[in-house]
Amino acid sequence: MTSAQIDVLLVAIVVAAACAVPGTFLVLRRMAMMSDAISHTVLLGIVLAFFVVADLSSPILIVGAALVGLLTVLLVETVSRTGLVREDTAIGLVFPALFSIAVILISSLAGNVHLDSDAVLLGEIAFAPFNRFTPFGGDLGPIALWVMGAILVINLACTALFFKELKLATFDPALAAALGFSPALVHYGLMALVSVTAVGAFDAVGSILVVALMVGPPAAAYLLTDRLPRMLGLSIVIGAASAVGGYWLARLLDANIAGSMATVVGIAFLLVLLLAPQRGLVATARRRRRQRWSFARQMLLIHLATHEGTPAEADESRPDHMQRHMRWPPTFANRVVQTATERGLIVLEHDQLRLTPQGRETARVAVVS
Amino acid sequence: MSVRLRTGNALAVQATDLTLAYQQRPVLWDVDLEVPQGVLMAIVGPNGAGKTTLLRTVLGLLRPAAGEVRVFGRPYAEQRQLVAYVPQRGSVDWDFPTTALDIVTMGTYSGLGWVKRPGASERSRATAALTQVGMQAYANRQISQLSGGQQQRVFLARALVQDAQVYLMDEPFQGVDATTERAIVNLLRALRADGKTVVAVHHDLQTVAEYFDQVTLLNVRRIAAGPVDKVFTDENLRLTYGGRVAGIGGRTNGSGHEPSL
Repeated sequence: MTSAQIDVLLVAIVVAAACAVPGTFLVLRRMAMMSDAISHTVLLGIVLAFFVVADLSSPILIVGAALVGLLTVLLVETVSRTGLVREDTAIGLVFPALFSIAVILISSLAGNVHLDSDAVLLGEIAFAPFNRFTPFGGDLGPIALWVMGAILVINLACTALFFKELKLATFDPALAAALGFSPALVHYGLMALVSVTAVGAFDAVGSILVVALMVGPPAAAYLLTDRLPRMLGLSIVIGAASAVGGYWLARLLDANIAGSMATVVGIAFLLVLLLAPQRGLVATARRRRRQRWSFARQMLLIHLATHEGTPAEADESRPDHMQRHMRWPPTFANRVVQTATERGLIVLEHDQLRLTPQGRETARVAVVS
Repeated sequence: MSVRLRTGNALAVQATDLTLAYQQRPVLWDVDLEVPQGVLMAIVGPNGAGKTTLLRTVLGLLRPAAGEVRVFGRPYAEQRQLVAYVPQRGSVDWDFPTTALDIVTMGTYSGLGWVKRPGASERSRATAALTQVGMQAYANRQISQLSGGQQQRVFLARALVQDAQVYLMDEPFQGVDATTERAIVNLLRALRADGKTVVAVHHDLQTVAEYFDQVTLLNVRRIAAGPVDKVFTDENLRLTYGGRVAGIGGRTNGSGHEPSL
C-alpha cells in the first residue's frame, strides 16, 4: 500500500468511529433522521461562517456549522411543538429549507470558491491525503486525520464523562428531569456533538456517508447485543470495518470511495439483520419453527394424557385419529408422532400411542404452566 | 427520628390552585392536592381526568398556568431529593440495551450529581432494592425479557433506591400479575410503616378501600378528597364519573366487606 492509501484508510476509520459514538444515542433515541438533517444543514453554517472569515480552513467554520446544527434541532422542535405537524414532517420541512439556502448562497455568491455542492453530498476522501497538516514546515499527515481525530477524542471523552446522563436521559427523560439532570441540556449537548461530527466528517466523506455511518453501524450493533457499552464498541468496529471494506470495494470497482463505503455499511446491516444470533431473521424463523413443533408435540401429549384410562382411550390414541382430531395434515401428524417417539415421550403399541412416564410428566407440566 | 425533624409538621405534598391547559382545553382546573405524611393516597378518576398530568405537574415536569406545589412546606425545587417518581410502565422503551440492575441503579444518580459514576455502593443499594421487590434473581436480565409485572417491580425498586420521603406512582398496578400486585401492596404498607408517603394513580375502584387510606377523586376539578371511608362514596363516584359507574365499589361505612359489582 502506498502512504496515500494508508492515509485514506486511516481517515475513513477515524470518521467511522467518530460517527458511531453519537450515532448510537441517535438510534436509541429514535432520532436517526436528525443525523440526515444536521449533516446537510451544517453546510449553511459553513457558508455563513465563510462569508465572515473568508477562509475555508478556519476553525470558525466548524463553530458556525455546529451552531446551525443546533438551530436545525431547535427549529424542528419548534415546528413540531405547535402540535400541527409531526416531528418527522418537521425535519422534512426544516432541513431542505436550510440546505437550499446554503446551496443558493454558494451558487450565487461564492461561485469561484471551492465550496462545491456535489462534494457536500459525496465528499472526496481520495483527496484527503493531499491536504496536509504542516506546522512550521514539518509534515504531520492529512489535516482531515487531525480534525477527525480531535472530534473522535471529543466524542469519546464526552460519552465517557456523561455516560450515565446520556443513558438516563435517553431511557427515561422524565426521571432525568425529576432527578435534576436536565434532559434538554443532554439533548442539545448530544446534538452539538452530532453537528461537530457531521461538519468534520462531511468535508472528508460527504453527508450521505455521515448519515450511513451514524445510523447503519449502531442499528446493526443494536441487533447484536443488549448492553449499551457493547453496543457502542460494536458500532465503532462495524463502522470501521465497513469503511475499510468500502475502500477496497471502491478500488475493485474503480468507483467513488464514499459511495462504496455507504454501500458496505448497508450490506453489513443486512447481514446482521439476517444472521444476528438472537434477533436475526434466520434465528427468529428457526426459533418459531422449533416452537411450532414443540407446541404440536405438547398438544399430542396433552391429548393422550386427557384420554388415558378413559373408555374412549382406544379410539382416541390411534395414530390416524390425530389427523382428524387436531386437523393436522397427514405428513405433519406423522412427523409429530415420529419426533415425539424419538424423544422418548410416547411409544407405539398395537396401533395405539401410549405415553411414557417422561411424556406423562411433560404433559402435566405443560398443562400446569 | 431525623426524618420528622427535617420534614416538620407540614403536609407531605401540598399543591394549591393548580391549573393547566393543553391548547384551549383545561386539563386541571383549580386543583388542590393535600397529602399528609405517612398515608397511602389514591388518585382516582376517569380517563382524561388529568391524573397523570397532576403527578407530572407536582414533579415539575409540566409547568402549570397557575398554582404552586410545596413538599413538606417548601417549594418542590428545593425538596426534589425527597420525592421519587414511578412513571407508567409504558412511558419508556423496554428494548433499551441494559439490565434490570442498571435501571434500578439510575435511582442513585441524583446523589451522585453530574459526571460521577455509580460504584460498588450504588450497585449494592440497587441490589438490595431489587431484593426488596423479590427481583434479585433477575438483576442481570435484559429488561425486555422481563414480564410486565417484573418491569413494574424494577421501576418500584428504582424508586425505593432513591430513599425518598414521598413516592409518586402512576398506575403501579396497571397490567400486573397477581404476584406483583401482592408484592406492591406489601411494599406500600412497608413504606407507610416507615413513615413514608405514597400518592398513586389508581384505576381499579374495587381495591381502593383495601389498598389506600386516603383518596382524591379527580375529574379536571377536584371532586372530593380525604379518608377513603368518608370520601369514597357512591355519590362522589357518580360526580366524578358522571353517573357511568354508579354503584361500583363505593362504600359509605366501615370496611371489610366485599365491594359489590
